[in-house]
Amino acid sequence: MSDTLLWYTTRGAGAVSLVLLTAVVVLGILSALRVQAAGWPRFLTTGLHRNLALMTLVFLALHIITAVVDPFTHLGWLTAVVPFSSSYRTLWLGLGTIAFELLLAIVVTSLARGLIGHAAWRMVHWLTYASWPVAVIHGIGTGTDTLSAWLLVITVACVVAVIAAIGLRLTARPRDPLKEPRTTFQAAVQRPETR
Amino acid sequence: MTQLLAGRNLALGAEGLAEHVRRLGPLPVPGPSFIEVLERSGLKGRGGAAYQAGMKWRSVEAQSNGAAVVIVNGAEGEPRSLKDRLLMTTRPHLILDGAFLAAKAVRAKQVVLYIGEDHRAAHDSMARALAERTNEERRLVRTVAAPARYVAGASSAAVHLVDAGIATPTTTPPSAHQRGVDGAPTLVQNVETLAQVALIARTGSPTGTHLVTVAGGVSRPGVLEIQSQTTIADAVELAGGPSEPSEAVLLGGYFGTWIRAASAWGLALDHDALRARGLSLGCGVIGVLPGSRCVVCEVAGIMRYLASESSAQCGPCFFGLRALADACTRIAEGGTDHLDLQRLQRWSAEVSGRGACHHPDGAVMFLQSALNTFPEEFAGHRAHLRRSA
Repeated sequence: MSDTLLWYTTRGAGAVSLVLLTAVVVLGILSALRVQAAGWPRFLTTGLHRNLALMTLVFLALHIITAVVDPFTHLGWLTAVVPFSSSYRTLWLGLGTIAFELLLAIVVTSLARGLIGHAAWRMVHWLTYASWPVAVIHGIGTGTDTLSAWLLVITVACVVAVIAAIGLRLTARPRDPLKEPRTTFQAAVQRPETR
Repeated sequence: MTQLLAGRNLALGAEGLAEHVRRLGPLPVPGPSFIEVLERSGLKGRGGAAYQAGMKWRSVEAQSNGAAVVIVNGAEGEPRSLKDRLLMTTRPHLILDGAFLAAKAVRAKQVVLYIGEDHRAAHDSMARALAERTNEERRLVRTVAAPARYVAGASSAAVHLVDAGIATPTTTPPSAHQRGVDGAPTLVQNVETLAQVALIARTGSPTGTHLVTVAGGVSRPGVLEIQSQTTIADAVELAGGPSEPSEAVLLGGYFGTWIRAASAWGLALDHDALRARGLSLGCGVIGVLPGSRCVVCEVAGIMRYLASESSAQCGPCFFGLRALADACTRIAEGGTDHLDLQRLQRWSAEVSGRGACHHPDGAVMFLQSALNTFPEEFAGHRAHLRRSA
């Protein structure tokens, strides 16, 4: 594989990861808002959210591996794990490492949700709001392509999408649609005298 | 060989303690190796999941410290099943024997009789039988009414009711035998399983029989005790034969499997033989669909029921099963719609495995079995005109 190809792959996979991660974040926020339509029941949102998150990891792996094995940058595998350990663009790459590790923690806790419990999973999931902006700053800061029109458009679109979703979430007060059926069901199976 | 329903005519009602002891001898004191005997017997749970009983007892005993709890599961929330009720109503002392053997073997401090609240006769029979037992035994026992809902028979729901007074299933793992009532290991065992235990304690091996309920299009629907070589055709014959020609059998209750009648009749109702074909006896219901009933409409009706029995704790189960049931109903009422057929496949995959308990998984397996067994019926269904009277 030629060095140039590696370099292009790193940049391309980085851009794709940004778009995918943004989609995951927006879907996550939308699922908290309980958005749904007739042909799109709400559980599909969470399914897509999960599958896209796993796909993001695949492109991130491609992004990181091609960057590390690229002989031009001399990154070394340590850079992928320890933040700010690279001599090449120390700050910006370090942010990338941090964003990646936060994301990894979020995915691993999601896969192990049955074992760690809902409360712990939810707390770790809040880290999304740290991981995504750090990833965006990493992209802008490192960016060989930052000033090129195509990446600029993508980055701005991603930021606008997430800000819009957060804005929606803060203004709309989502109602728990399960609350009423749950209460009804629990009333039907409650036998307090057995205590 | 002794059978579960041996002894006096079932129509005469419950067998009393004196008669029970005369017939089978007194309850033997279980030795320290009783769990080993149970493991060697290969006895599997009769509630539906067919979990190895010995393994469960071993796990509870190992963590017991004298605080374990035994729950005698007579909830029988499966709509077509009658066998647990029949056993409680006619042979209560077999069940109690099994329960007290379990309590000794796992060093339990409490035995809970968890009986479906609608099963009045079963409840009364168990209460009368309990009154005949020793003070020492009676002190261990309390009776709790199981709400008449599908999920109430799940072991986590039984534990939740005893613990917190509410029979909704909870997340597993940990399962009840690891962490149950008050955090103590809890042995939840179906009444038929415990009755088998009572006979194993006396003879060293299970009876080799199963209780099944033959339901639907047969002349005399009801409970049978069958040998493992009995075929579905034999069971249907014992239940008086089909009341009209039948095209389909639902084996194992609402979480069971559909089989076309032609391939169903010759099947032996044997756990291992069924397993080898990817089937299971489940809770023992053999549902014979009368030929005049439409299988697509039947499936839609059962899906609506299973959706309505979701405890509304997990979104994918509550909304997913509802969406699946609605799509089934649209096909049943309006005729085949290929978009809806595709949705059934896609949404099934999205729902399965996404609940805290296995309710959505069971419902999806039921639907998948119907779609796989009756592809032509689902692909070419036409809306029925109401049959004129």
